[in-house]
Amino acid sequence: MSSLRHTGLPWELGLAEAHQTLVQARLRSRMVLQTDGQIRTGRDLAIATLLGAEEWGVATAALVVEGCIMMRKCHTNTCPVGVATQNPELRKLFTGKADEVVNMFHFLADDLRRIMAQLGFKTINEMVGQANVLKVNETPNHWKLKNLNLQPILEQAVLANGDTHHNSSKQKPLDKEALGYKLRAFSKSAIEDGIAVKGEFPILNIDRAVGTLVSSDIAQKHGSKGLPENSIDIKFIGSAGQSFGAFASKGIRFELEGESNDYFGKGLSGATLIVYPDKKSKFVPHENIIIGNVAFYGATSGEAYINGVAGERFCVRNSGARVVVEGLGDHGCEYMTGGRAVILGAIGRNFAAGMSGGVAYVFDPKDELSANCNMEMVEFESPDAEQQAEIRSMIEKHVGETNSMLAKSLLKNWKSTLKSFKTVMPTDYKRALELKKSNTKREQLTHG
Amino acid sequence: MGKPTGFLEFGRELPANRDPKSRIEDSKEIQLKFDAEKLNKQAARCMDCGVPFCHNGCPLGNNIPEFNDAVYEEDWKEAAEVLFSTNNFPEFTGRICPAPCEASCVLGINKPPVTIEQIEKEIAEKAFELGLVQPNIPRNRTGKKVAVIGSGPAGLAAAAQLNSVGHTVNVYERSDRIGGLLTYGIPDFKLEKRIVERRIKHMRQEGIVFKTNCDIGENVKTADIMDQYDAVVVCTGSTIPRDLPVPGRELDGVHFAMDFLTQENQRVAGDKIKPQDVVVATDKHVLVIGGGDTGSDCVGTSNRHKAKTVTQIELLEKPQLERGEKDPWPLWPVVLRTSSSHQEGCERQWAMNTMAFHGMEGKVSSVELVEVEWVVAKNGRQKMAEVENSAKIIPCDLALLAIGFLHPQHTGLIAQLGLELDNRGNVLCENYRTSNEKVFAAGDARRGQSLVVWAISEGREAARSVDEFLMGTSVLESKDRSLLRV
Repeated sequence: MSSLRHTGLPWELGLAEAHQTLVQARLRSRMVLQTDGQIRTGRDLAIATLLGAEEWGVATAALVVEGCIMMRKCHTNTCPVGVATQNPELRKLFTGKADEVVNMFHFLADDLRRIMAQLGFKTINEMVGQANVLKVNETPNHWKLKNLNLQPILEQAVLANGDTHHNSSKQKPLDKEALGYKLRAFSKSAIEDGIAVKGEFPILNIDRAVGTLVSSDIAQKHGSKGLPENSIDIKFIGSAGQSFGAFASKGIRFELEGESNDYFGKGLSGATLIVYPDKKSKFVPHENIIIGNVAFYGATSGEAYINGVAGERFCVRNSGARVVVEGLGDHGCEYMTGGRAVILGAIGRNFAAGMSGGVAYVFDPKDELSANCNMEMVEFESPDAEQQAEIRSMIEKHVGETNSMLAKSLLKNWKSTLKSFKTVMPTDYKRALELKKSNTKREQLTHG
Repeated sequence: MGKPTGFLEFGRELPANRDPKSRIEDSKEIQLKFDAEKLNKQAARCMDCGVPFCHNGCPLGNNIPEFNDAVYEEDWKEAAEVLFSTNNFPEFTGRICPAPCEASCVLGINKPPVTIEQIEKEIAEKAFELGLVQPNIPRNRTGKKVAVIGSGPAGLAAAAQLNSVGHTVNVYERSDRIGGLLTYGIPDFKLEKRIVERRIKHMRQEGIVFKTNCDIGENVKTADIMDQYDAVVVCTGSTIPRDLPVPGRELDGVHFAMDFLTQENQRVAGDKIKPQDVVVATDKHVLVIGGGDTGSDCVGTSNRHKAKTVTQIELLEKPQLERGEKDPWPLWPVVLRTSSSHQEGCERQWAMNTMAFHGMEGKVSSVELVEVEWVVAKNGRQKMAEVENSAKIIPCDLALLAIGFLHPQHTGLIAQLGLELDNRGNVLCENYRTSNEKVFAAGDARRGQSLVVWAISEGREAARSVDEFLMGTSVLESKDRSLLRV
């Protein structure tokens, strides 16, 4: 599943399904549903409300009121009516007035109010999710409508006792008994007094952002330099929730036996994260997904060793973390600007799109990389001696931390392994590195 | 898009016209050649809008940003392909269209719009020059026969379209030359007749048969046409001129504009006019009544005749110089327009009503005018009121009525076919089909007096309707259905 191939549907479909599902799961009263996508009239607002949204986004219509003529040139800095441009000459041509936008929203509200009165609703809250008042207009006799069944969208969700169709309960604050707080107490001596701590905790997928509170404490006391290596050395056993090790600071070492949800190591800031499957499991690690989507998003530094396959959008916007992984989904290393990724298995499609820095080393024995890589900004080469040493040391560390069978076998046949490694290098980044190297050399020659 | 910042770098520029003093000595086209480099810059001004309003401004739905881009890239083949895909005769519209596309050009919101019409003309001429315009001879003939009555732009467009899908098309024209108003309405200085002839020659090569001097219902029996053809397309134009029933109207020297203009085109073409029919403006005080395009053509022609004075009057008030609240972009702006004919010399007066023609010995010698003002009446409509003591008499020995056309000629063809008319007297149609199942109508005869570009559009749309009638389905392009993916 990729959002790329499933976007662009009318909001009615997703909204109705989200609302119905949330009501069924008895979660609707705890959420706010907002919808947008070409909402322009009170009628649009009314339909959105009846299908389950209590909030709506109106963007294009408001822009048009300001003078937007839908040039679709917002990204080119040439908006001829001065709406979406930084060019001072073009900005002079902007004629929009804030009052007119206010006016439009008043009109929208009036329009909605009129429809609400017709339907007998006093408030938005009592109107939300009342899909049963919607009727299908059968008159447009278009051939495309012939085979269309709108019933699933118009299904009136049935409330459980005490539940509501709209957001009616506040979110509870984070439980003080949560793992994050326990960890914070456990790590206090390491942060305050410099006494290293080592421990073991069970973990469940309701434990989210484990390690972030501790990292915040470290950052407040020690700034970005963090703590000495392995000051806080924790082993978790179980299934980690979202954002395991998010923003984790230097000095932290988290070892996870089990698996983890999405956003693993998001914004990683110096810590070392290790994950390997439950020791009792019988599956082959490098053929199974062990961490979810968007791992190491925006990571800035640190290390990670993943004894298994990662989901999609791995290492997107990574700017400094060094990671080893045994396979990944689509859009890996997209917009990466720094760091290293050693990938020991298959990559998904659109790999390295917009990658402008850092290096990815891909083990590609089946020669699939070129078919799956987005070549707009990167090029391939065989690893040079320096790179070979780097790959080897990272894989060796991977074996040390995770005992990866795959990595072991690769090391065993190192010569043939190396033949299948490709360096994915952003073209401009490479040029910058070479320039730097030759400058340093020149300096050494003149000063040395 | 060729140049994203073109509109910021280059201003609007059109080719220069010949000097008014020398150009009134002949009837040749007045525009000078345009530099290729300059044209390229003009094409670069197109912004390739996300929502190109020009598509909608143009009655033909021309894919304007695409051909502009092709011109910028100097890909004339692509440019011609895009242009001809929606417009059969850009060599006409590139010269004489008032360019509603430019009125709706997005650049026109705060800058002078792209010179779309000029670019269109250049593409069309370049396409002929490079041999890109080849007769489009259909591979197969359907065996269906279609008669097109009237050879103006609507008839020609319908004929070209219908022929292209293999129908056998005969075009009937009551006059001695093909082209309708293209030939006998628009003066040569705006559209040289060699341009029309070049197109007719192509259409003949495509297999279309043109029959001149055939006035259906007069010298050709309507019943014969109905018997011989599977479908008939009425493109007879809106030929009945609006009259001015004031005292002295019957005087010699008071003429409908079209009598004057048609005769001039015949003269330029080398025809001899019978002495008793000659209407010329030479050494006369000419009064052109009506401030529209036809009036303007009368002004230009009078100047070429060396009239003593040329005065043009208009009933409505002088329009604003710029758009106002009633006509914001992208609507058609009701603003003061100065044509090339006006630049050649003419006195223009607005808010002026004609009260009477005075004359001696049956010949008009002066005209009585009165100033009017327009006020909003109780029903919200504009109402005309005479300004007291504003009557004046000006000398006039030739008065030309250019105050519009009412509807097509009802006698003859339309009456004999018994076609239903709408409340303005035009042929009533549904999807271009008249009340007679195998008779269709297009152009001014259906929509009332309008532009050449609308006539071409009507001809194309009607052709599709005819094709659907004959074949059940149609692959012909129409405004909403382009076969060319651009």
